[in-house]
Amino acid sequence: MWCASPAWPFHSHHVAVEFVHPVIMGKRALPAVAVPADEDLVATLRTTARTGDIVVAVAAADDPAVAAAMRRGDAWGVETVWIGAGPRPPSGAAKHVLWLPTDDPLQASEQFVRMYHLLWELTHVCFEHQGLLTSDDCLDDVCITCSDEGRPAEVLTVDGDEALVRTAEGRERVDLSIIDTPRPGDLLLVHAGSAITNLDAA
Amino acid sequence: MSPEASDFLYPFIEREEKDAGSLLADLATSAEGKWEQSTRLRLDTLSALAGDITAAAAAMAGRFAAGGQLFAFGNGGSATDADAFARLCTRPPWGDPLPARSLAFDQAVLTAISNDVGFEIVFSRQLIAYARAGDIAIGFSTSGNSDNLMAAFAEARKRGMLTVGLAGYDGGRMGASDDVAHCLTVRSDSVHRIQEAQAAVAHALWDALQTQLRQEGAA
Repeated sequence: MWCASPAWPFHSHHVAVEFVHPVIMGKRALPAVAVPADEDLVATLRTTARTGDIVVAVAAADDPAVAAAMRRGDAWGVETVWIGAGPRPPSGAAKHVLWLPTDDPLQASEQFVRMYHLLWELTHVCFEHQGLLTSDDCLDDVCITCSDEGRPAEVLTVDGDEALVRTAEGRERVDLSIIDTPRPGDLLLVHAGSAITNLDAA
Repeated sequence: MSPEASDFLYPFIEREEKDAGSLLADLATSAEGKWEQSTRLRLDTLSALAGDITAAAAAMAGRFAAGGQLFAFGNGGSATDADAFARLCTRPPWGDPLPARSLAFDQAVLTAISNDVGFEIVFSRQLIAYARAGDIAIGFSTSGNSDNLMAAFAEARKRGMLTVGLAGYDGGRMGASDDVAHCLTVRSDSVHRIQEAQAAVAHALWDALQTQLRQEGAA
């Protein structure tokens, strides 16, 4: 789990230490890491986050680095959780948007702590109740997420008619002949080895 | 049964229940209960500590007004609380910015001291290097018992610093020590609830400090 809070780095460190070294003796250590606030969040995650990881951000809706990272969640194959307060990010900005109804920065900060403490407690309760860990996802053979109907991908490098992209499956080479040449960082939709749309085309 | 059982956190949730729907409903209800419990503890704590917070803020305002600076420290989650307080001082949402630093975030200094001497002096050693009489030492702990905080408070007092502590449970060693001039204790035995209430106490302390400084400036 990757924890990011560019404007309030102490929150990202608090979330990470909570999961790595729980305050309650005997609780398992979970792999959580704070991305340092002075790091390029998207650059770190696009290379280092693995499919199935979780990205948790504590940030305002107008945090550009967090918005950019959350938007790439599907291309990276990661679960995104965005905790914040004040004006909300647009609908669908992250898989899970946990938004607090306060505009007071100090109240918000206090409630963020409560929020991630609750998330930690609930996570450990879920581990002990197997009924909560079963999932019906992707059992259906027409599940759109798992088919090749148009998977999101982020461009890493462009090389002529091909691009190296990051997808939920890892790194792939895709053909660019039916779209205009994209830039690194652009989000594409990929179908059967070809980029079919550039979501960031001007 | 597993030794890591969370039953004490959410005791009424049936361990063998396999129906995710009803489990999730139980979890949502209990999470709401925790949230309310935290809200109550916050209010009770702020009301119980109102006088102590004002007294600590007045003493801190005097130090700042005379040119003092603040050093904040703690371990783990409390280290992040110390960092949050130092940032609130230097980059306030309103009011005067104040000189403050967290002693818990320079990994070169932290590992150098810990490796060469020991973790017990990780904060006191920094106070020896940085602090002057007239400065302020503020330490965050949930137990009130951390050795390195006690060492830092002893060093701070010896150097003529104002000492302020945030503790939990019954205050622990911090609550009983003469080295901590102002000990603000959150009376709870849950580390999470203590940290949540401490965040509110820290904000109230900062707010009272800003009020004091305004009044002194106007006087």
